[in-house]
Amino acid sequence: MVGDPIGDYLPTFIRFLILAVVVCGASMGVHYVLRNILHLKRDVALGFSLITPWILGFLIFNLIPMVSTVVLSFTDYNLQQAPNFVGIQNYQTLIGTDANFWPSIRLTVLYSVISVPISVTLSVLLALVLSKNLRGIGVYRVLYYLPSIVPAVAVVLLWRWIFNPDVGLLNTLISPILNVTNTAPPDWFGDESFVLPAFIIMSLWTALGNNTVIMLGSRKGVATDLYEAASIDGANTWTKFLRITIPMMTPAIFFLVVVEFASAMQLFTPAAFARATPAAGRFMNLLIYTYGFQQSRMGYATALAVILFLLILAATIVLFRSQARWVYYEGQER
Amino acid sequence: MSATVTQSTAASGNVPWTPARIRRVIGRAVTYILVSALGVVFLIPLFWLLSSSLKVGTEVFDQPVKWWPAVPQWNNYPDAWNALPFTRFLLNTLFVTIVPLFAEVFVSAIVAYGFSRFVFPGRNVLFLIMISTMFLPDVVKLIPTFIIWKQFNLIDTYDPLVLASLLGGTPLFIFLMRQFFSSIPKEIEEAALIDGANVVQTFTRVMIPLIRPALLSVSIIGFQGHWNDFLGPLIYLNTQAKYTMTVGMFFFTGGTNERPHWEWLMAMSTLMIIPILILFIIFQRYFIEGLTSGAVKG
Repeated sequence: MVGDPIGDYLPTFIRFLILAVVVCGASMGVHYVLRNILHLKRDVALGFSLITPWILGFLIFNLIPMVSTVVLSFTDYNLQQAPNFVGIQNYQTLIGTDANFWPSIRLTVLYSVISVPISVTLSVLLALVLSKNLRGIGVYRVLYYLPSIVPAVAVVLLWRWIFNPDVGLLNTLISPILNVTNTAPPDWFGDESFVLPAFIIMSLWTALGNNTVIMLGSRKGVATDLYEAASIDGANTWTKFLRITIPMMTPAIFFLVVVEFASAMQLFTPAAFARATPAAGRFMNLLIYTYGFQQSRMGYATALAVILFLLILAATIVLFRSQARWVYYEGQER
Repeated sequence: MSATVTQSTAASGNVPWTPARIRRVIGRAVTYILVSALGVVFLIPLFWLLSSSLKVGTEVFDQPVKWWPAVPQWNNYPDAWNALPFTRFLLNTLFVTIVPLFAEVFVSAIVAYGFSRFVFPGRNVLFLIMISTMFLPDVVKLIPTFIIWKQFNLIDTYDPLVLASLLGGTPLFIFLMRQFFSSIPKEIEEAALIDGANVVQTFTRVMIPLIRPALLSVSIIGFQGHWNDFLGPLIYLNTQAKYTMTVGMFFFTGGTNERPHWEWLMAMSTLMIIPILILFIIFQRYFIEGLTSGAVKG
C-alpha cells in the first residue's frame, strides 16, 4: 500500500470523535442552561438543544465565511503575509485590466442562459411523453436517468473522447453532413468558437434525465379531478394541457430553473476536466480556483467570487420577481 | 387517461378500426419511436465508453470507428488501476465518503426533529434562514473556509472533508426529513413518552425507524455527493497518496505524454460508474424519491 493509510485516517477519525462529543456536549449544555437555569418550557429547551449543531454549523461554515469573503475581497491577502486593505483595487483590476475577466463572464453567463432553458424545456416535454401510461415506459425512464448518475469526472473524460476532432464519436457520426456541406470537422474543446456548444451538449446529456425525473414527479402530482372537471366543461386535450398541466407544473419548473441556474453558474468539475482551450475563456469558478489556489491570490480570487455571487443573486432575484407572472401556486387566485 | 388504457386492452381483438383507434395506434407508435430514438442517443455514449475501455491502444484511433474491439482487452482494467495507486485512492474515497455520510445524515435527522416537533420562539425564522442557505453558492464560502482549516493546520489531512459533517448537517436533508417527521402522527410519540421513554429513546427507537425511506433517499444523495466530490479533495489534499478517486483521475493523464492511453482513461471512468450503478439498481425508488420530493413538495 502506498503511504500510510491508517496513519492518515486515524488522526482525522479521532478528531472526528472528539468533535462529535463536543457537539453533543454543546447540545446538552444548551438544554441545561435553558431548562435548569432559565427555567424555560420543555419544548423550548429541547427544540433549541436539538438544532444546536445546525446553529454552530451556520455560524462557522456559512455566516463567518460569507462575511470574510466580502472583507477579504478588499485586501491583497496571499496566504503568506498579513492582509493589507487595498480598497476596491481588486474589483478595478478585474473589471478594468484583467484579460481573463470578460471572456470568463461571457462563457459562464452564456452557458447558463442557454443550457438551463433548453434542458428544462426538453425535460418538461419528455416528462409529458413519459407520463403516458404506455407499456414499457418505465424502462425509458431508467434509460434517460442513467447518464445523471454517472460521476461528473467520468462524464467529462468520456465526452472529451467523444469530442476528439479526429477519431471522436461525434465527428464520425456527423461526417456525412460535413462531407456534403464540405466543412472541416470541428475541433470541439480545442476551438474557441466550439467550446460553448460542446459544454452545452455535454450538460444536456447529463442533466436531461435528472430534470425529467423531477418534472415527471410534478406531472404525476397534478390532480386528475382537474382534468375531469375540465372535460365536463368541454375542454379539449390542448386546452387541458395549456390551462391545467403546464400551470400546475410551474412551481416545480420554477424551482428547477433557480437551482439549475445557480449550479450552472458555478460549473467546476467539467470545466476543470475538459481541458478546453483557454482562448474561449475559463468558467468563473475555475478562474477563482486558478487565482486563489494555484496563484495564492486569495484577496483577488474572493473579489471574483463576490462578483459571481452577485450575478447569481441578481438572477435569483429576477426569477423570484418574475414568479407572479408565470408561476401558479395552488389555492391562489389567478 | 386511465379510461383509454382499459378501453384498448379490452378491445384488442374484435373492435373495428375506427378513425379514432387508428389515430391512437399511430400516436402511440410515434411516441415509441421518439422515446426509443432518444434512448439510443442517451445510451450510445455509455456503450462507447465501455467499448473504448476494452480496445487495444492502437484500435482506439482506428478509422472508421470500431464499435466493438476485435479482442476485448480486459487487462486494460488492471493495467490502468496499477498505473497510479488507485487501490489507495479507493480506500481514501471510501473513508471521506462513509464517515461524513453517517454523521451528516444523523445530525440532519436530529436537527430536522427539532424543527418539526418542538415549538420554540424564532423557529420559523431560523428554518427560513436554514432553507435560504440551500441557495447560497458554495463559492462565497470556499476561500474563507479553506483559510479556517489552514489556521488549524489541517491542510493535507482529511479533516476538512470529514469534520464539517458534524456541524449543521445538510440543509436539503434537514428539509426533506422535516417533511417526513411532520407526516408522523403526534400520538406515536406521546405513547412512547407515556411508556416512560425520554427524548433520546423516542428519537432513536421510534422516530428514526419511521423515517427509514427518507434516510435512504438522503443517504443516496449524500453518497453521490461525496463520491463525486472533486473541488474539496483538490484544494485540501496535496500528497498524492492521499488523493481520492476523482483527484487521482484528474492527474491521471493515462501514461506517457507522447501517447495518452485513452483506453485506460475509459476503463477508469467505467470503474467510477460501477458503485453508483449498483446503488441505483438496488435503490432505484429512493434515488427518484429523493430527487422529486425536494422540488415537488418544496
